[in-house]
Amino acid sequence: MADDVVIRVEDAGIRFRRNRRARRSFKDLFAGRKRRTRPGEFWALRNVSFTVRSGEAIGVVGRNGQGKSTLLKLVAEVILADEGRVHVAEGVAPLIEITGGFVDDLSVRDNVYLTAGLHGMTRAEIADRFDEIIDFAEIGEFLDTPYKHLSSGMKVRIAFSVISRLEEPIILVDEVLAVGDKGFREKCYRRIEELLAGGRTLFFVSHNEKDLRRFCRRGLYLDGGALVLDAPIGEVLERYNADYAE
Amino acid sequence: MTNSTLGRPAWSPATRYRRSLWLLTVRDLRVRYSTSALGYFWSILDPLVMAAIYWFVFTQVFDRTVGAQPYIVFLLTALLPWMWFNGATSDATRAYLREAKLIRSTKIPRTIWVARLVLSKGIEFVASIPVVVIFAIATGATVQWEAVLLPVALVLQAVLTMGVGLIVAPLVVFFRDLERATKLALRFLFYASPIIYGLSDLPAGLHFWATFNPLAGIFSLYRAAFFPEQLDWFAVSMAAIISSIIFAVGVLVFNRTERAVLKEI
Repeated sequence: MADDVVIRVEDAGIRFRRNRRARRSFKDLFAGRKRRTRPGEFWALRNVSFTVRSGEAIGVVGRNGQGKSTLLKLVAEVILADEGRVHVAEGVAPLIEITGGFVDDLSVRDNVYLTAGLHGMTRAEIADRFDEIIDFAEIGEFLDTPYKHLSSGMKVRIAFSVISRLEEPIILVDEVLAVGDKGFREKCYRRIEELLAGGRTLFFVSHNEKDLRRFCRRGLYLDGGALVLDAPIGEVLERYNADYAE
Repeated sequence: MTNSTLGRPAWSPATRYRRSLWLLTVRDLRVRYSTSALGYFWSILDPLVMAAIYWFVFTQVFDRTVGAQPYIVFLLTALLPWMWFNGATSDATRAYLREAKLIRSTKIPRTIWVARLVLSKGIEFVASIPVVVIFAIATGATVQWEAVLLPVALVLQAVLTMGVGLIVAPLVVFFRDLERATKLALRFLFYASPIIYGLSDLPAGLHFWATFNPLAGIFSLYRAAFFPEQLDWFAVSMAAIISSIIFAVGVLVFNRTERAVLKEI
């Protein structure tokens, strides 16, 4: 077993209900996870296996609804697989639902300490990086403003700024960066490049071919909940474009 | 696998758990106190108003035949811990729903979402103990050696409340009606527990059955600090057994539903 494997996904599968409102019974809830698929459920991902080595930059490609974000959440361990195993050996900085950890009633300052703290940083570490975080987000004048009074752009900026300073060895990026103005997006991208240069492992979900080629070396192509191709990013994009060319 | 250049020394899971729990608890308390001017007073005002009402009804209106003297101290010694149980349980019904966004973005152990409610309400309870002391001094009630049993009561109640929370919190995600059912059950439980009366005031035939309510034994421990005759070791043992069973069931329910909860919220 290679010792620098940081993410190991073995035969992972996860199943969702097609209809949220469908009736659910106590029996359902407590039935073991080995049970068979029932009508009204579908496998969002199934039989997905791959490993990621430390320092790799991976782009996840596929049309909408083919399981890309689900895969990202499995790697972030914010949802759990129904079958198979997902093993993540190192800390993860998830740029997914990044504003989720922020509390409306607390000030920006308190929020930075809270979110970074929940991701495992100590007060001293946060204090060291505090100015950097605020500078990056460009919201110096709003430190003591309650989070709810920030504009939506500022909210995303401060959230990105905090999560991207977590110093975790693995970063997961969902299409969050589509928000914010062009200048800030470019700044985020430069930050991601910096992190990559620093040896981080990147897991990137996007529809944008240019971004994928910019950051990633290896691609995972998901279709119909299965991993169709695991190859260099160029090859994966070619195959994707070929499959969905008119 | 070292990350000498990147990251920090890895926390042990227990340290991580403790730190996250503490952060969220402090956040809870801070949000509560930063949004209201009276802060601390709100957490003791509610039981005080309730105590005043019961004191008035049972000592001024009716000729009281239950409890012990001084009645206001008798009431508060069970009413304040009841506020802890009641507050934590009713908040647990929304434990996952209210924090859905945060839960979807971090991977900290999911029991924390319940544990932090038990802890923050517990801290509020401990912070309200001076109120009992003030009333005890004012009415001349004397502290007995049984007051050293306070930590036992705290532990038992924490285990019980955590167990109930672990059962209620995930199930409400699937059965929203359970939220209202829980509120109703809590109101019933208030009168079914020895709060406005003592365990010994019950008719002999009911006494045995009443000890199946773990709160009965727990409250008798709290009360023993001022009213040693209220201490009922049989009820305390029952409370210990039943609290442990409820806790075990809670852990089981939580483990079996965790996957489904994460998908649902």
